[in-house]
Amino acid sequence: MAERAGVRITGVHALSALGRGADAQLAGVLAGAPAFRPVGRFDTTARRVGVAATLPEAGALPDELAEAVRAACAAARLGPGERAVAPLLLAAHGGAGVPALARELADGCGLAGAPRAYTSACVSASTAVADAAALIARGDVDRVVVAAGYLVEPDQYALFDAGRALATDGAVRPFSAGRRGLLLGDGVAAVVLESAGAARRRGAPTLAEVLGWGRAGDGHHPCQPDPQGRGLARAVGAALRRAGLRPEEIGYVNANATGTGYSDAAEAAALRLAWGEHAGRVPISSTKALHGHALEASGLLELVVTVLATGHGKLPVNAGWLGPDEACPLDVIRDAPRPAATPYALSLNSAFGGANTALLVGAA
Amino acid sequence: MTGETIGGLRVLAEARWPEPGDAAPPTLPGFVHSTFSPVVAAVADRCLTRRHGERPAPEPVAARTAVVLVSAAGDRASADHVRATVAQGGRPGPLFFFQSVPNSVAGHVAARWGLGGPVVCVAPTGDPLAEGTAEAELLCADGDADETLLIMIEQPPGDAGAAGPGEAPGTRAVAVLLGGGDTR
Repeated sequence: MAERAGVRITGVHALSALGRGADAQLAGVLAGAPAFRPVGRFDTTARRVGVAATLPEAGALPDELAEAVRAACAAARLGPGERAVAPLLLAAHGGAGVPALARELADGCGLAGAPRAYTSACVSASTAVADAAALIARGDVDRVVVAAGYLVEPDQYALFDAGRALATDGAVRPFSAGRRGLLLGDGVAAVVLESAGAARRRGAPTLAEVLGWGRAGDGHHPCQPDPQGRGLARAVGAALRRAGLRPEEIGYVNANATGTGYSDAAEAAALRLAWGEHAGRVPISSTKALHGHALEASGLLELVVTVLATGHGKLPVNAGWLGPDEACPLDVIRDAPRPAATPYALSLNSAFGGANTALLVGAA
Repeated sequence: MTGETIGGLRVLAEARWPEPGDAAPPTLPGFVHSTFSPVVAAVADRCLTRRHGERPAPEPVAARTAVVLVSAAGDRASADHVRATVAQGGRPGPLFFFQSVPNSVAGHVAARWGLGGPVVCVAPTGDPLAEGTAEAELLCADGDADETLLIMIEQPPGDAGAAGPGEAPGTRAVAVLLGGGDTR
C-alpha cells in the first residue's frame, strides 16, 4: 500500500441551537447549558413531546447549507480556483429532492460538483468525512468540502415521536441513570478537508488533522444496535490503526450517546470491547445533551465541536446527568469542562442498520 | 455481468427485481405500506444466494462485506404517506419510524446474512452504477471491506405496490456483489 497523505481540516462552520458559527458552538458546549426549548416552528399538539433544540432565526436548509459551505471555505482561505477543483460530499435526509440539492449547492458555491449525497441516517455525515479523508489520503483529490444539514421539521419529528424515541422529560441524559431518550436539534455544518501537502503549499490555516477513521456494521438488526457493540468496536479499532495511536493516547471521546437506554449501553459495551478496562479511564461526553440530535448532520456538527474543543484544550460536559448507570462504566465529564490531557479525540456515531463510524482527530 | 470487472472490482454475483416470473416481492415483517424495503430484501437475497447458497454468508468474508444502497429518491411511498399524515395533523404508525431511512432495510440484509462491513446509503447525482461502484471501490481500497453488496433501487412516484394482482411492482432494483479486486 502506498504511503497515505496526511489529511487536515482547514476550515469549519456550523449552526445549531447553540448559535451561528464556530465560535458560538465552542462557547455553547463549554457553557454547558442545554438548548432545548418548546418547538415554535410547527404544531406539536398531536405529539407526546414538544421540545427540540432549534435556532429560531434559522433559514431554509438550502440557504443555510450554502452559507455554511461559503463560511467554511472562507475560513480555509480557499480562493475561487481552489474551490473549483474541490468536490462536495453532502449529507442529508434522503428524498426525491436530495440529488438536486447537492448539485445546486455545489454549483452555487463554485465547487467541483457533488457526485453523491449520503443518506445513511445518523452516520451520513461521518461516513462522508471518512470517505473524503480516504479520497485525499490515497491522492485522488487535494481537498473535499463536506457539508451536512438537518433542521428540525414536522415529518421526522412526528416519526421520532411515534417511535417513542423522544425524551418525555425534556432533557437528554447520555449514559446517565434515568435517561429517557433523545431530542432532535438543528445542525448545519461544513468542513474543508485538505491534503497536508496542499495545505502547506498554500499556507492554509490548520485546525486539526484527521488521523484515522473507521466504518463497520453490526450485522445484528434493522434498527437496534448490537448490545455487545461489536460493529462500533471494530470501527474504533480501525480508526486507531489508521492513526497509529494507542487507546492510552486518546484524550477525549465525543460519544454518539443519544440518551437512549439500550443504545448508550451498547456504545459503552463497544468501548469496553475495543479498549478493555481502559475504556473507563478516557474522558467522554455526548454533546447531543446540549445541541440535540441533528440526525444526518450529527456527525459533522459533533466533529466540528470536537475539533474546536480539543483545539481550545477544554472538553465539554455531558449535560443532563442524574447518576451513574452500571451498564455505562465510563469516565463521563460532568459538572464542568475538563482540561484536555492529549490532543487526540474520537468522534463516534451509530445509526439504524447497525452502521457505525469513528473519526479520530488531532488538534493542531 | 458476473465475472466481469467494473470499477476495479470483480462482479461475483448479480440479481434483478423483477426477473421473469416475479410478482409482488415477499412480505417483509416489520416493514409496511411500500415495496421499497421488500424489493431491497428480495434482490439482495437473490444476489447473495447465487454467491453463497444458504444464509449466513461464510466467514471470514461475511465480516468484511459492506452493504451499499444507492437510491436517488429513496422510499417515496413511505415518505409521501408520512408527509400526508402529518399535514392532516395525524400520527404516523410507529413502523414508519423504523423504515424512515434506507439504513433499516440495509441493516436487515446485513443481519440476515451476517454481514459486518460498513453500511452506506447514498443518493447519486449521476449514474447510479458508477457512483455505487465508486463507493464500493473506496471502501475496499481503504480497507474497511473486502466485498460489497451494491443495491441500486428506484421507486416511481406513487408506487406503493404492484400495479395489479399478480403483476410485478413498479419498484425496480439491481444487486451486484463486488469484490476480489486488487486495489489495495
